[in-house]
Amino acid sequence: MDIFKLTRSITRQKILTLFLADPGEAHYLHEIARILSISAGNIRREMKTMAASGLFNSYSLGRLLYFKINQNTALFETVKSLTMKTAPQTNNDIIAKAFLWTAKPSPIALQSEIYCQTRDIFQVRLQTFTEHLEAKLGTGAYLVSAVAGEIGNNSFDHNLGNWPDMPGVLFAHAKKIVVLADRGQGILKTLQNVRSQIKNDREALLIAFTEIISGRFGEKRGNGLKFVSSIIREKKWCLEFYSGRGFLKLARETKLKITESPRVIKGCLAVLKY
Amino acid sequence: MTIKLSKFGEMLISRPAGREAYFSAKAYLLGKNPGMVEFDFDKIKVLTPSWIDEFIALLKNDFPKTKIKFLHSHNPTVISSLKIISASPSA
Repeated sequence: MDIFKLTRSITRQKILTLFLADPGEAHYLHEIARILSISAGNIRREMKTMAASGLFNSYSLGRLLYFKINQNTALFETVKSLTMKTAPQTNNDIIAKAFLWTAKPSPIALQSEIYCQTRDIFQVRLQTFTEHLEAKLGTGAYLVSAVAGEIGNNSFDHNLGNWPDMPGVLFAHAKKIVVLADRGQGILKTLQNVRSQIKNDREALLIAFTEIISGRFGEKRGNGLKFVSSIIREKKWCLEFYSGRGFLKLARETKLKITESPRVIKGCLAVLKY
Repeated sequence: MTIKLSKFGEMLISRPAGREAYFSAKAYLLGKNPGMVEFDFDKIKVLTPSWIDEFIALLKNDFPKTKIKFLHSHNPTVISSLKIISASPSA
């Protein structure tokens, strides 16, 4: 197969960027489609072509068909080099990076531009982001910044001095999207501090977004995510929020949807589409 | 007395920043017994419920008899933040 053709399609570039970010990781079809927001049919067609070239191996586990990039083929290094040179930093790239960072058992290194180890660094970057966005959206930028600020600061409020491994947040943005993630305790463990009977991540997410409650024992607070929720509804934006096995989606004119995510997120991962 | 919040910055976002702002206001602005405190949001770009909640909770705790008034603002983050903290049982 012509390797230049292999990296010419945007869909292929996105798939390759996802797999090359962590070549040891396998993904199943619908998982790839969800992470990249591309239809499963398109992904299936591209995976079939790339598997035929030997660049991908596939195997079945239960009812799922998994794909893994083949690092032993001669194509691997060439495709890796070509993809890194040609792939643009898209919305899907930053979402994929956030997934990888929060889903791995051990943290992987993050680019310094998107990693805020302390709250001070986050504040400065949020301010710079707001100034840039203000030039495009005017005062509309302030609500985006307020939502990002509440979510990002929550990570620090609930994990300061208690980060399981890598402190800080991932804060990245591209066209009309903001991604925030942390490898902290997660919503369930945080809320179990004050309400030990919460059973699972889905229940914890529902409580966090609908009740006035804080995981910080003895403190009267817990408005942040309700504020986020009210803005998302009012502005008809979209928020996807993952924690543990829980996945919450707040979208335009729809009810709050909470389901179980096939992938476990250490801490929290939020994707704001405004 | 009127507190011009823009003197604490244009972006008032985190709880620690709200707490720090309150202690500074207590030391230099509020005096021993502020009868009424008016919050002026002019020139504020971003306000979150976390910041203002922290400030007000500490103010109410130290001065339970002080009346609090919010001056009108067109800023969407101010309007939304005040709406949320007004609905909170601790407000």
